[in-house]
Amino acid sequence: MRVAILQMEGTNCEEESYIAFKETGANPEYLHINNLTEGMLESYDMIFIPGGFSAGDYIRAGAVFAARLKAKVWKDIVDFVESGKPVMGVCNGFQVLIELGLLPGTDGISEVPQAALMTNNSNRFECRWVHLKKTKDTMFSRDAPNKIMLPVAHAEGKFFATQDIIKKIEDNGQVVFRYISPDATEPEYPWNPNGSINDIAAIVNSYGNVFGIMPHPERAYFPFHHPDWTRNPRDKGDGYYIFKSLFNQINEAKSR
Amino acid sequence: MKLKKIEDGVYEVNIIDATDEELHEINNTMGLALSVEEMKKIRDFFREMGRNPTDLEIHAIAQGWSEHCSYKSSKPVLRKYIFGIPSEHTMIVMQDDAGVVEFDDEYAYVFKIESHNHPSAVEPYGGAATGVGGIIRDVLNMGAKPIALVDPLFFGPPDYSGKLNKGVKHPLFLINGVISGIRDYGNRVGIPTVAGITYFHEDYINNVLVNAGCLGIVKKDKIVRSAVYSTGIKLVMVGGRTGRDGIHGVNFASKILDEKSEEERQAVQLGNPILKEPLIHLVLEANERGIIHGMKDLGGGGLGSVVGEMCHAGGVGANVYLDKVLLKEGDMAPWEIWVSESQERMLLAIEDKNLQTLEKLCEKWDIEMSVIGETIEQKNLRIFWHGNKILDMPLEFITAGVEYERDYTVRRVQEMQEIPPEPNYRSVFLKLLSSYNIASKEWVIRQYDHEVQGRTVIKPMHGIVGYESHGDAAVLKPLHDSWKGIAITTVSNPHISKLNPYLGALYTVDEAVRNLVAVGAMPSSMSDGLNFGNPERPEIMGEFVETCRGLGDAARALGIPYVSGNVSFYNEAFGKNIPPTPVLMAVGIIDDIRNAITSDFKKEGNYIYTIGKTTGEMGGSEYYSMLNASSTIVPRVNVERTKLLSKQLLSAISKGLVESCHDISHGGLGVTIAEMSIGGNLGAEIDLKNMEHFRSDIKLFSESPTRWVCEVQPENAEKFESHVEGKHIGVVDGERLKVRDGERWLFNVDVATMRKIWRGSLEKYLR
Repeated sequence: MRVAILQMEGTNCEEESYIAFKETGANPEYLHINNLTEGMLESYDMIFIPGGFSAGDYIRAGAVFAARLKAKVWKDIVDFVESGKPVMGVCNGFQVLIELGLLPGTDGISEVPQAALMTNNSNRFECRWVHLKKTKDTMFSRDAPNKIMLPVAHAEGKFFATQDIIKKIEDNGQVVFRYISPDATEPEYPWNPNGSINDIAAIVNSYGNVFGIMPHPERAYFPFHHPDWTRNPRDKGDGYYIFKSLFNQINEAKSR
Repeated sequence: MKLKKIEDGVYEVNIIDATDEELHEINNTMGLALSVEEMKKIRDFFREMGRNPTDLEIHAIAQGWSEHCSYKSSKPVLRKYIFGIPSEHTMIVMQDDAGVVEFDDEYAYVFKIESHNHPSAVEPYGGAATGVGGIIRDVLNMGAKPIALVDPLFFGPPDYSGKLNKGVKHPLFLINGVISGIRDYGNRVGIPTVAGITYFHEDYINNVLVNAGCLGIVKKDKIVRSAVYSTGIKLVMVGGRTGRDGIHGVNFASKILDEKSEEERQAVQLGNPILKEPLIHLVLEANERGIIHGMKDLGGGGLGSVVGEMCHAGGVGANVYLDKVLLKEGDMAPWEIWVSESQERMLLAIEDKNLQTLEKLCEKWDIEMSVIGETIEQKNLRIFWHGNKILDMPLEFITAGVEYERDYTVRRVQEMQEIPPEPNYRSVFLKLLSSYNIASKEWVIRQYDHEVQGRTVIKPMHGIVGYESHGDAAVLKPLHDSWKGIAITTVSNPHISKLNPYLGALYTVDEAVRNLVAVGAMPSSMSDGLNFGNPERPEIMGEFVETCRGLGDAARALGIPYVSGNVSFYNEAFGKNIPPTPVLMAVGIIDDIRNAITSDFKKEGNYIYTIGKTTGEMGGSEYYSMLNASSTIVPRVNVERTKLLSKQLLSAISKGLVESCHDISHGGLGVTIAEMSIGGNLGAEIDLKNMEHFRSDIKLFSESPTRWVCEVQPENAEKFESHVEGKHIGVVDGERLKVRDGERWLFNVDVATMRKIWRGSLEKYLR
């Protein structure tokens, strides 16, 4: 399973993402946007856009990365998505997928962004752990337990769209993870850390192969990534199950 | 001042014939920040040469001789006390930009702490951000991958309502600016900020202190030195362009602040994390390929310092072609290019045959590079500008400049201690929890990404998610395939140092050890950030000498060396100096991170122990300061006890006998137990009667050194007691913290109330 981890200046979660894929058994490769040429992506089984601050996020987070991808290899990306192969973006990567119009993708790829990851309600960057409830089994989540914990680390993570789009996302069952409070009730701040509408933390496109998630599964891959590992022993970090789901799915698809 | 134009942007300065008054005028007009004696030394030098210098030559000397670059006031003292503490694991100590210490057979860790005080006082956001940027380069230029940042900060109180001197910015403005600057730089560049200090006191209203530290990891065979050892090696600048930002930063840093400091904004540099991020990749890739002969970052002093120091260290000279330097603005004069402290620049020494490889890498990472010179046999520095030689001086004269044995006096304080009336325990305890220096720093900590790179295995906050409390140190797991860990902490106790700089220094080293041991790490080495007032005042110089003596005595006895450090003098404004503020960044090693422990209570029924002896010296304590009670008697560290008890405790922790541990410091035993309760969301029942014989408030709030609180499972109690001299003082229990001294109940507070008060008090100002 060959995974292209895309990079540009300011991407900075690539190393832990690389380790997560590698540990799961996949073959990740860093692919810098400056070295990316037409026809290159096709040979990969998956595209992964890691977190960070691409180009500094001085304008809308992810907008510059998306613009450069569009300018360079837009057709390849469309083909990749339409072939059904998985594309995943974490944090800044999620923001890029929205800016590209690949997400929410309620009716396929959109020309302009249909949603936004806005500035947090707290109006500042926050690094903290959150509880998530799985609301859909997808190739990115099927092996994950129903409740997991992952860290968030962002200033712009409030999922926002018009009521129509939100309704479509919900009707299509595109929400994969939602923020919940520790007692599984509706989360208030900080359990919904950014004010996301309907507590949306992760969505998939309507075809189920493009996945964006604000929290960081790669930073919760090992048990000792969890902040409470000295009190709650675990076999695996909760993020592991997302990479494992993907790995199983791709291998099954290949062996079919 | 008599000038003769040589060509555009280059002037000859008549210094040979200058009178003493004219020397003074030259010093001021050119913004050199040198003394008259130093100016005379320059005049004598050129009289001997039989010619007048160019303006560039004078600027180059002034930069090399600034306090910031030359350590002219501090070096003799540092040499006597701080340097040369023996250790078997150190590799590079106090030579290059950061210290290097063995981590395991294959790897070394690299770290340093540094100040960025003056720029942050004038422009808090940019000043703090470039402070972070600069310290990252210090680690990077050793060839190491930066994996952690720390940020000790010292401000005036956020609710200060008194008068501010002209040009001094309100603490709240500075706090917000500095924290945002660190956040926006550190987070963007992708290095976790894992530890720090946020300290508030009126003594810092005029002089904010912004220290920043960085730690990196490097394969031993990939360590790069900041020196060029052969001739004919090309000097290549990579990264940012050179501009007028940051001109005279080091000269500015070597002056006292006044109402005109605002006009020196030009001395503050502009950082760019999104240039730094690929620059780190570029440098590490080039180093992995083994093409870097020597490397140094352009920080304080700019190109001038770097070329001089790199060549001087390797015993070669250099030809530099200043017109090859890539500029942000075209019309810069040669002296401006030479002293500019523009950010995100590195100087690489590269052999000819490797230039092409470097070019390819620069292309990939979108980084500009330019060959600006080469090393030569003669030990002179020669600078050319469009073919004309405009500087030619021995490197020795510029870089090895001057040194002073400054006069100093040691202030002796009459020992006295007031005994205040016994307090209402509940109200005094809650008031302490809400005091600025004890209250939760979560608002600050969470704005920094503390786990990017996935190495932070003990975070800065410890406990149940959503209920976390302060920990003593963060732990990183630097290597994917090894369980070995690095613990990092920062400490400072200015209000003990203010009363007695020597004992304050001992106390600070002791606290560094306490913090590392509390997570289960063996102290390994330290970096010292020494922030002081004006060294030309004998009483300030005395504080500096006494502090260094204390730091040296404690570290030598413990066998923990200082491997890097920084001195920041002239933290004086409007006649007021900061208290002596030695800040330590201390690093410990833990053989297996799975044995690390945290500060939060784990389980009801577990026993609670205090380790160490409680004493009654209340000088510098948060409790006395809150009561406005006076005491000049500060805690006295017995370093042999530090050594013995930390060894005992480490042995118990490594055997898995300790469930949680927290050192006793600001606010004493009461606050320590409160924090352990808050993080574990569990109460405790405590009885102080087994402790040393003091009034209950002393037992609860004394900050005497070398003490910890440990939580131990009942079935391990006997074993624990056979390892450690501890006193059983209570048990983890319920949802309330109940404290008594024998038959007398002192207070009974529920954990949720403590948490609310502790969390809310700073946040309400900062939000």
